[in-house]
Amino acid sequence: MSNAGALGSGHLNSARAAVILATFLGGLLSGVVVYAVTDRGTEANPYASLPRAGEPAVTADVALALANDDAQALANQLDMAVLQRLQTAIEPLAEIRSTKFVGAVEKNGRVLAAYIAGGRTADGIDIVRGFVLSVTGDQIVGVN
Amino acid sequence: MFGLKLLPPMMRTALSMLIIGGLIGYAGTAFTTTLVADSGLLGGGGESNDAHKYMMAFVKRESEKLSRLGPSTDVVSRALQQQNAAQQAGDVKPLTVTYLGGSSSGRVSVHIYALELQAVGGQYQFFPLALTIVGGKVVRVE
Repeated sequence: MSNAGALGSGHLNSARAAVILATFLGGLLSGVVVYAVTDRGTEANPYASLPRAGEPAVTADVALALANDDAQALANQLDMAVLQRLQTAIEPLAEIRSTKFVGAVEKNGRVLAAYIAGGRTADGIDIVRGFVLSVTGDQIVGVN
Repeated sequence: MFGLKLLPPMMRTALSMLIIGGLIGYAGTAFTTTLVADSGLLGGGGESNDAHKYMMAFVKRESEKLSRLGPSTDVVSRALQQQNAAQQAGDVKPLTVTYLGGSSSGRVSVHIYALELQAVGGQYQFFPLALTIVGGKVVRVE
């Protein structure tokens, strides 16, 4: 094949590759656009929501004790009934590696502070569990 | 197939690339947006669509929808669930539904809400609900 022929063939292959790449990118873009147009996302909440409250200090201490595996601190902070409810709430977590405050709301002097605990079960499976500490007058009165 | 062989090879390749690109773009965007929304990375609060749908069905006592979004149960359990919901439907009025937050680990995610309900008799309830979701199904409500 002559040099001119090889050059022409090379240009043709480049042009063909460019067209294929362009159509692929065009398809990719149209896929994104179609999803953006058709996706309805999370529907709006038709009910009113309570304003967010800050994390109560008393629940922050409990969350810290849980994350630090500090049984002594927990025993000092909570009475037996609340501790038993907390035990049920975090089941089947056997080892807590983290606790994360996710939000709190207050109504009529009662604060609900929500936490997510992450860790392992006795079988070594990584899971997350949610629990809510109910606070009245700087005292933890319940766990869900 | 589908008469594609009638098209010139170049056009066939271009069409295939367009379709493949479109599918990857659509699926990739769906995956990414779900991941980002559920994790709350962009400050959207991280409320999952499944959790939201379940909560709305819960407060409206829509037993059919609750069964669909919950784990698979036998027909008798579903019938009992529907009877329960039908009895309670007119008994309570939701006042507020507040999404507190959530987190996920692998396929498991937890979403927590605070609810205010007013019973017909005037009884007021303010309580939290934690939903555990695995693979789009609410497996635990407490």
